[in-house]
Amino acid sequence: MTPATLIAVLYVPMTGVLICLSPAISRPTLQFGVRIPGDRAAMPVVRDERRTFYRRTAAVASCCTIAALLVARRGSTWAVQVILVAELLADLGCFGLARNKIAAAKQAGGWFAGRRQVVTADTSWRTSPARFPVRWLTPAVAVIAATVLIEVLRHPSLPPGHPAARSSFTRYGPVIGQLYVTVLWTGLLLIIYRSRPDVDAADPALSARQYRRFLVVMARTMLTLVALIDLSVLLSALRRWQIGHFPGAVAVLPVAAGLVILSVVTVRAGQGGSRLSGGRRPGPAAVADRDDDRDDDRFWKAGLFYVNRDDPAIMVGRRFGVGWTFNFGNRLAWLVLGVIAGGLAGLLILHAVLGPL
Amino acid sequence: MLLTIEPDGTVPIYLQIRDRIVEAIAGGRQPAGSPLPSTRQLAVDLGVNFHTVNKSYDLLRQEGLLRISRKTGTVVQRDAHSGPPDPGWAEDWTGRLRTLLAEAAAQGLPAEDIVRHCRDALADFAFPAGASS
Repeated sequence: MTPATLIAVLYVPMTGVLICLSPAISRPTLQFGVRIPGDRAAMPVVRDERRTFYRRTAAVASCCTIAALLVARRGSTWAVQVILVAELLADLGCFGLARNKIAAAKQAGGWFAGRRQVVTADTSWRTSPARFPVRWLTPAVAVIAATVLIEVLRHPSLPPGHPAARSSFTRYGPVIGQLYVTVLWTGLLLIIYRSRPDVDAADPALSARQYRRFLVVMARTMLTLVALIDLSVLLSALRRWQIGHFPGAVAVLPVAAGLVILSVVTVRAGQGGSRLSGGRRPGPAAVADRDDDRDDDRFWKAGLFYVNRDDPAIMVGRRFGVGWTFNFGNRLAWLVLGVIAGGLAGLLILHAVLGPL
Repeated sequence: MLLTIEPDGTVPIYLQIRDRIVEAIAGGRQPAGSPLPSTRQLAVDLGVNFHTVNKSYDLLRQEGLLRISRKTGTVVQRDAHSGPPDPGWAEDWTGRLRTLLAEAAAQGLPAEDIVRHCRDALADFAFPAGASS
């Protein structure tokens, strides 16, 4: 089994589990991408749809994992990737069914009728901003430096005609890949640091504190994952340069460990840090007489894609699950997406030239 | 400072932002010399157009409550501890207050209730020591 196949196989159960758990780690006021008042989170329709979603997505994840393991034994990477796409589509279908039911109940019951809908900003977020954890970039930079050093030392003794010695482009392929991942995620994290925090109208002070912790925890985890991805690339390069003689699976181990860490942190933190400690957590009864978050469903297409031309934000908190997404109504967001896609296209060309790592 | 607005409410958003900042200054949560986010940053955080926040800040600057400069950013210019207001300001304010009180009287609110509401509102503000009496 190649490293690429192993990663693809690993993605199938992890994606399945994370999607299955998403309703449990979402804010009570966001159910399947539908904004609802805090005191409606315990409505029978919401409870029933969550249970149905758990059952359906657990079945999808189980079937797809078994299928992925079976086809991976034959060494077919593309077949595993097809199964992963099929799993995502099936989960998307489950999400759509649950979302439609809750949106219909919300519409029919007029859940937001006559309620005060607000947006809250914490100005201290800008006047005393959270500091980007620059020091957590050190492991990734150290791995890249080690890759460059090993390549420089190894290059003169590579056998003539070795694929990695054909040109400087092929020579520094692994380093280019590492730089792409590191620069991409550092850039995205810097944009995220300048994005708006998820402030819950029911308890703005608590949610603002939770979001501060969430941002720091997620940034550190992402930078750790980046360093582990770079390490996997280095291990693959060592095999390519005929320095280490170890199975391909060993090269995948750092990425696998990073994905497991990210999944655990994501589940523990919850959407926007809503599961992190930050003091008192208001229950449904406590929020009943308070303000509600603004019903902004009209800006979320299919409950997943944020399109708001009047909003200057480039990235905003995801509606379903944990993380961030782009504001597709903002031209700058499209520019960033273009840069990411351009870099990815360059890497694919590099991959085609170098062959599988 | 937590700044809350109703984007779909009847009061224009720029006026809501202006009112919340004035209340924060009066309540001592945003004292003289304290910084505020830039117009772009606050626009991102509230999910509103940049020009809307710009309009609020410009209004507050004209009222002498904010100082906006490239070097220091947006800073609160004055608060209850900064001395008496500019000459002529009180006449203009009295006119607006009269209209506000007239609304309550026209709706049939007794005079003692109006005074009680005024006292309750004043209790939230941070006056200099000895000035509240």
